Amino acid sequence: MVWHIFKKDWKLAWVFVLVVSIVHWIDSAIIYKLGLFDEDPMLEMLADAVPMLAFFGSMFLIGAIVHLDAIPGVRQDWLVRPISRRDLVVEKFLFVVFMVNGPIFAEVLLQGLANKFSLRLSLVAAIWQVTFLLFAFTLPLFSFASVTRNMTQAFILGCGCTFIILGFQTIASYLNGRAHGTLEPVPWSAVGWVGETARFALSVVAAIIILGLQYFRRKTLFARAMVLLFGVVLLLTQFIPWKAAFAIEQKLSPKPGAGSSAVVAFDPRLEKFRSPSGLRASSEQGRRYYVGEHSSVFLPLEVAGIPRDAFLLTDRVEARFIGMDGKIAFHGIGERLEFADEGPNNATHQEIQIPTSVYRDIKEQPLRTQVDYSLTLFALEGSYSLPALGGDERMPGFGWCETKMNEAETVVELRCMQPGKGPTCAMLFLENKATAQRNPARSSCHGDYSPYTGWYFGDNLAHFGANIPFRDSSGLAKFPVDGPQLPQSRVVIRVYRPEDHFTRSLVIPGIRLKDWEAQ
Amino acid sequence: MIRVEHLWKKFGRFDALRGLSFDVPEASAFALIGANGAGKTTTIKILMNILDPTRGSAALLGVDSRKISPRELRQIGYVSENQDMPSRLTVEEYVAYLRPFYPTWDRDLEASIARQLRLPLERKIGDLSHGMRMKMALMCALPYRPKLLVLDEPFSGLDPLVRDEFMEGLLEQAGEMTILISSHELGEIDGVATHVAFLDEGQLLFQESMSDLTGRFREVQVTLEIEAARPAQVPKEWLEMRAIGNVLTFVDTRFDENGLSERIRTRIEGVRAIDAQPMVLRSIFTTLARAARDGRT
Repeated sequence: MVWHIFKKDWKLAWVFVLVVSIVHWIDSAIIYKLGLFDEDPMLEMLADAVPMLAFFGSMFLIGAIVHLDAIPGVRQDWLVRPISRRDLVVEKFLFVVFMVNGPIFAEVLLQGLANKFSLRLSLVAAIWQVTFLLFAFTLPLFSFASVTRNMTQAFILGCGCTFIILGFQTIASYLNGRAHGTLEPVPWSAVGWVGETARFALSVVAAIIILGLQYFRRKTLFARAMVLLFGVVLLLTQFIPWKAAFAIEQKLSPKPGAGSSAVVAFDPRLEKFRSPSGLRASSEQGRRYYVGEHSSVFLPLEVAGIPRDAFLLTDRVEARFIGMDGKIAFHGIGERLEFADEGPNNATHQEIQIPTSVYRDIKEQPLRTQVDYSLTLFALEGSYSLPALGGDERMPGFGWCETKMNEAETVVELRCMQPGKGPTCAMLFLENKATAQRNPARSSCHGDYSPYTGWYFGDNLAHFGANIPFRDSSGLAKFPVDGPQLPQSRVVIRVYRPEDHFTRSLVIPGIRLKDWEAQ
Repeated sequence: MIRVEHLWKKFGRFDALRGLSFDVPEASAFALIGANGAGKTTTIKILMNILDPTRGSAALLGVDSRKISPRELRQIGYVSENQDMPSRLTVEEYVAYLRPFYPTWDRDLEASIARQLRLPLERKIGDLSHGMRMKMALMCALPYRPKLLVLDEPFSGLDPLVRDEFMEGLLEQAGEMTILISSHELGEIDGVATHVAFLDEGQLLFQESMSDLTGRFREVQVTLEIEAARPAQVPKEWLEMRAIGNVLTFVDTRFDENGLSERIRTRIEGVRAIDAQPMVLRSIFTTLARAARDGRT
């Protein structure tokens, strides 16, 4: 009877399905039309608004589909019909998947094909996108809709939930600020996917329980309590400890042990950190790029053991300053760093921001310092290049890229597109093909080690790029490859893949923070 | 066919049903009567497993109402005054949707009922009037020849013409069907119901066959030789006693043709004439409702 109910729902909902699908496809057409450089301001504006419209359209469509045979209430005719509850829930699930995720699948597939990516790549991107949305969007909303009678109820309950979520986030954000960023380590980090996956797993469990309660027992009150309970548990997943999340990431290292030779050591013989010229050195003064009430210390580090053609990225730096009485004087987050193999003197400074009020109290004290590094070693995966001006290349394994000069004639704009996830890390530089001269490389990393890909909005095509400078408008810097050389130059892209995730702990028995302020 | 035992239903602090018990015999037309809010719809919704009882049990077709499955629902027809059907489907589309769920669905019977009820098959359900929708609900409940037909306030809001069409449609198909009908429109079940149960504030005041009920109720008029006055001692089965001039009237709820005269004369002096008239169901109901309200039942 699943197909029979499916046909009935189609008769009732096809107009809504069509409208929402069209919005998705319009979104796809806009993104296609925008191309790589997003040059049409009107289309750019639409590209921001239409995905939201499509998102909310899909949300209401799920509600409308579930409400065609609503569970709560005492008036629905289907309640007195010999309709198998199992058939009904299966039908609803399939209808939602086909009618909500189906058009999105088509959107991503067509977007990939229209941008001349292979069928295989486009198909994989489309499958990932609908799978992601199934767990992140469709299933939770399906469960939520099943505890509501109609759209009005869903809207009111939805507003209530949004209010609770926003309230929770505000409080969590405030507490995280008070804890110097140590309370919510996982969200928005490279291992954020661990929390996200935990939420997906919880969503599946919640959906099974809530849909079971609703479709087989019609226990709406209990099911609503479950929605609330799971909602709270889902919110609490943002407090997953870093160590647990990173331990999972370590287990998934593609090449465990590759980073075993990497060493991070405190070297007091190194020079103190010098502030950029024109800025005051006092650590108690807010700098251009620091929050005003914070002070910074810069610990000199020597990093060694990075293999050739590899570089090291800190995923998280957690610093503890412990007084001689054993009490933690400060626990906070250090600045993230990148280390490449640059020969024997691979030195850098680890910046740690401390609230000024705390800093004043502890800067003169001898402190035991512990800095815990969560690191990822990246290895070179491939190297690609395209002309610095007017480049338009389709690079297998990397994607489609174009280059052009910006209006101010200071940077080469590189814009790329790739089905699915873009590269996690890349080094870019301009190179003169004739002279082999090259500008300093710029790294571009977006920490995300998720083994899957998918977005709430839009298509599942990664749009990424970078601006590669060749002229300093202030005239202070001079680049080896400058404007006149651009026609003979190319943009070189070195793509790195994560190989090993590991930790290092730096323990300094006794330092005075005042000694490590910027000069 | 239906057995309800000590049924309780609470909505928050409000007791909608308070220990309700009754039996519906097979092949009977059982009327559940009571004023608005008496608990008729709640009882039916519990029977249909739309609501859960707080305490007690209800069984139909030998199955606990909480466990009725599609197998039982295939044998039950249900018509309610406030049944939500997909308003954007046409009558024809919805009937076509329902057909496969009932293996015993008779398409000839369906066509015949549709003709008899004069239903516009091509019209969308949302565009139907209340009366038309009730007739449609009936049409969706009969073609599979259910063993049990449950009608919850089916006449509510229907004009007389539609009521007649509805009743004709129903009676024509009734056959051996057991019918449970709830109503406060007593005139409509008069001549249909074989059994009646009277609910008041969630409690059953009585349950008996229609013939017994109409047999034991009489409107008695006693003409006296002198000015009538209410006797000092009135048996509790005499309700609504009134004295106007030299005439005393009351409703006898335990009418016995042979003993009535003697029972009156032992309590009232100067009786000149006694006249006992059968009562219509509506009068019986209003008498009982007033007595219940006054705490005299």
